[in-house]
Amino acid sequence: MTTAPTGLHGPSPVDAPPPAAPAPGGAGRGRGRRRQLTPYLFLVVPVALLVLLTYVPVANMFWYSVTDWDGLDRTKNFVGLDNYVEIFTDPQNVRVFYVSLYYFAGSFVQMALALYFATLLSFDVRFKNLWKGILFFPYLINGVAIGLIFLNFLKPGGGLDTVLLSVGLDSLVHQWTGDPAIANFSLAAVSVWRYMGLNFVMFLGAIQSINSEVYEAAEIDGASRWHEFWHIILPSIRPVVGLSFILAISGALSVFEIPYVMTGGGNGTETFVIRTIWMAFNRNVVGLASAMAVVLLAVVLLVTWVQRRVVPDEEVDLT
Amino acid sequence: MFLHQRRARLAVASAAVTVLALTAACSGGPGDEENTSGEPGGAITVLTWRTDLIEDGTFDGYVEQFKAAYPDVTDVKIEGLTDYEGEVRTRMSTTNYGDVLAIPGSVTPDQLGDFFEPLGDQAELAEQYRWINDKSFEGTSYGIPVVGNVQGYVYNKRVWEAAGVTEFPDTPEAFLDALQAIADDGIEVAPLYTNYKDAWPLSQWDGWLGAVTADPDWKNEVVESDEPWADGTDYGVVDGLVYDAVARGLTEADPTTTNWEESKRLLGTGQVATMVLGSWAIPQMQAAAQAAGEDPADIAYAPTPVTVDGSFHSVAGGDYNLGINVSSRNKVTARAWIDWFNHESGFSQAQAGLSPLVDGDIPDALADFVDEVELLTLNPAPDGKEALFGDIDTASGIVTTDPKFRQQSIDDARSGARTKQQVFDDLNTAWAKGRAEVGA
Amino acid sequence: MIRTLTTTGKYVTLVVASIAMLLPIVLIVFGSLKTGQEFLATNPFTPPESLANVSNYATAFTRGGMLRGFANTVLIFAAAIAGTILIGAATAYALDRFRFLGRSAVLGLFLLATLVPGVTTQVATFQIINGLGLYNSRWALILLFMGTDIISIYIFLQFVRAIPRSLDEAAMIEGAGHLRIFLQIILPNLKPAIATVVIIKGIGIYNEFFLPFLYLPDPDLRPISTALFAFKGPFGSQWEIISAGVVITIVPILVLFLFLQRYIYNGFTSGATK
Repeated sequence: MTTAPTGLHGPSPVDAPPPAAPAPGGAGRGRGRRRQLTPYLFLVVPVALLVLLTYVPVANMFWYSVTDWDGLDRTKNFVGLDNYVEIFTDPQNVRVFYVSLYYFAGSFVQMALALYFATLLSFDVRFKNLWKGILFFPYLINGVAIGLIFLNFLKPGGGLDTVLLSVGLDSLVHQWTGDPAIANFSLAAVSVWRYMGLNFVMFLGAIQSINSEVYEAAEIDGASRWHEFWHIILPSIRPVVGLSFILAISGALSVFEIPYVMTGGGNGTETFVIRTIWMAFNRNVVGLASAMAVVLLAVVLLVTWVQRRVVPDEEVDLT
Repeated sequence: MFLHQRRARLAVASAAVTVLALTAACSGGPGDEENTSGEPGGAITVLTWRTDLIEDGTFDGYVEQFKAAYPDVTDVKIEGLTDYEGEVRTRMSTTNYGDVLAIPGSVTPDQLGDFFEPLGDQAELAEQYRWINDKSFEGTSYGIPVVGNVQGYVYNKRVWEAAGVTEFPDTPEAFLDALQAIADDGIEVAPLYTNYKDAWPLSQWDGWLGAVTADPDWKNEVVESDEPWADGTDYGVVDGLVYDAVARGLTEADPTTTNWEESKRLLGTGQVATMVLGSWAIPQMQAAAQAAGEDPADIAYAPTPVTVDGSFHSVAGGDYNLGINVSSRNKVTARAWIDWFNHESGFSQAQAGLSPLVDGDIPDALADFVDEVELLTLNPAPDGKEALFGDIDTASGIVTTDPKFRQQSIDDARSGARTKQQVFDDLNTAWAKGRAEVGA
Repeated sequence: MIRTLTTTGKYVTLVVASIAMLLPIVLIVFGSLKTGQEFLATNPFTPPESLANVSNYATAFTRGGMLRGFANTVLIFAAAIAGTILIGAATAYALDRFRFLGRSAVLGLFLLATLVPGVTTQVATFQIINGLGLYNSRWALILLFMGTDIISIYIFLQFVRAIPRSLDEAAMIEGAGHLRIFLQIILPNLKPAIATVVIIKGIGIYNEFFLPFLYLPDPDLRPISTALFAFKGPFGSQWEIISAGVVITIVPILVLFLFLQRYIYNGFTSGATK
């Protein structure tokens, strides 16, 4: 289990009720030393968990990625960069990167839509809360539920096909998950449907925090709506847009639930995470799977670094 | 104010502790206490792939009877896994995979001892049970089959005869022609249903390996060959048929929306004419036909569509083998379950399968089949080479025990991205690479 | 003229978007109220014959294990939230109220960890959880939910900074030790932060699929998301029951959303301004 907490803090609230007398609670050490130790004691459990569940796995991941471990043997053989070579040469592995591009593109669509609706709803619109609620709610729905909802909607003869047929657009009817050429588009679209709400609410919040005096000044100067958008709104919400961008990239690469529930990764829709999991737990090539995870991590870090350069956001003042 | 807050704190604290304690108490694993008595008792967990038998209460019946036979047994927890191979494989990375479980196909012979408890000497057990070789290694057996299957395909006789096909097709081409005749006659879903989405049924085609060439040593020969996928070879015919049937449009239009449970109903009602599955599927198909209001006698079974020396062949072999988790804490009861299941439960009869017991009967459903078709049992690998097939398979990256590669073949057949020959060439190249790496 | 066009245009886009968002859900609701035969025979848009057909819901609850799924989710949530609040508040308190050696290092550690997407490390995390003997137990999930949530810590940090130090000092004069200050001053004043974290994390845990899928295969211990996923097996061909399961899963969140809209919005926007 986690490191045993001392009596001063942590998830053992049984120790919590302090004594009735106004004597200093806790370990009862000398006051001077205690003040020095206190922050560390408060931090023992959080930092221990952080290290144990985030940093140790990352470190191990690097180590596994240069072995041919299968998760079971006692011995791990060092194989150098063989795993990495295999990742980039095996076409099936390269394919999953290609699949993430669909979701990546989808996230641009997602942010554009979110920005559009956020701007729209930050001005005078009737039933504002209703639209806001409807646009946001899908984000709160369980991923498995969404997968099943859309399996039902996109199946041959399902909701989407019925809509198209009823408006006479027969020619547009496709096998939404069955046609390998559009399967990824369909799944990426489901992802957009799911996540647009979050971006929307975040942008809306940021836009609404812009001081209204700025708008008034702009209107007096005769600025058009488009002008207002481009020169006032966008610059003010750059940090939020930047953050959303990182989340979108990271999200596009880590897509798992929607494709897994809807197609199981078949028909060319296999994503990075689905393949990594298959490799680690079905094929038992933990070394190779770890190498894939390292690559994913590297890409996310790279993108974050680029984003921080291009759109530096104001650091929250933590010091 | 201070006092009030403290009491509130206390309340929250005790609530939290209670919750934590409850979760700890409720998350007990299988057989928490080690059973050292040597007599069956206590609790065990049994993992099974037959989720349908859990749903309809059959397993509850088995548990009742078992507990009646062994009164000291407190509980037999049955856990059903829908994607058995995949889910069990993940669990086998830990020690937590039940007490009794079916040995997944992906475990290679040399790994048996790492995961499963030895059940006895191979030679001795072979006197009681058939098909013991499959899950044995170096003279020790780790698994006992629960039922025997023959391999071929299940089909809807009414639909086949309506299309004018009354004889078993005796060559792969004839098989495709039969499917085509059914398609021409008009069928709602497809002449052949692949169950692509659930994936595991695609591995059922492996049941034909060995029957195609009527060679009980096919597996031992394929490890020596650099071209397992060629015309006329076992893999060549099997994967060739899969590709051709899909490429000619004889399978379902949208493979990503197939569904196993649904497929049973489709076959029963004649919307689907054929599915390649082991004979274990017969009772399930008949039950589904009955539930759909059709005649269960429409469901029939045919052998692999290849004749060698004028007769059909079919590989008879054990279905899943039950084994005992090597880390089980109640191995005695686990063994008692396996023995009871094979001797007393009547499972193999109910499943219209061959009995795993050496002197067992042949069920009525298969009586005709056994008369007309020559059964063959595959030979085990020669000593020292038991792990060879698995090693080459892993090194090649094909992983024949996983349906993924066959799904890709189907993808290519639908999109035309690769021709059948290209698919074969790629597989052969990978296999040869695997052989070279392993030093075969 | 242009003004009315743009205004109508605005509403048109909103209506179209709303239909796109609501239609798939409405169709599932329809499906959940149809009988098996009805489902197969009718068009998805056809409303169900009887709006009172709750047999699918009954089946989903009993045979589908949804009730157990809810119970498990609640248990896991309660334990994880209790842990998260204590840990998050403790971290925030330590980082804000004290200056000590290694403070910026700890800050950096937390900051860096936000960059690592959880899914990438699971292959390695699995080995650790397994090594701790927690595989197939609810503790694995509770621990993971507690230990990998940096957002909560940031939320607490922001709120702790807003608690005036004068309160601390007053308490110290009265002789209270740090623990007492933490429990009786900091925690009560963090109520809004706690509320936010409870909501955000609650939604996150409720919807989490990947972690329970990987670590908790036991059918009796399944939370709601894996319980719903397991429907696809035995009920694979009975979409009317699956639909009922989906609706059952969505309803609690819908209710929560309708009542706590404001808090939910605040939670997500404040979590964003890290």
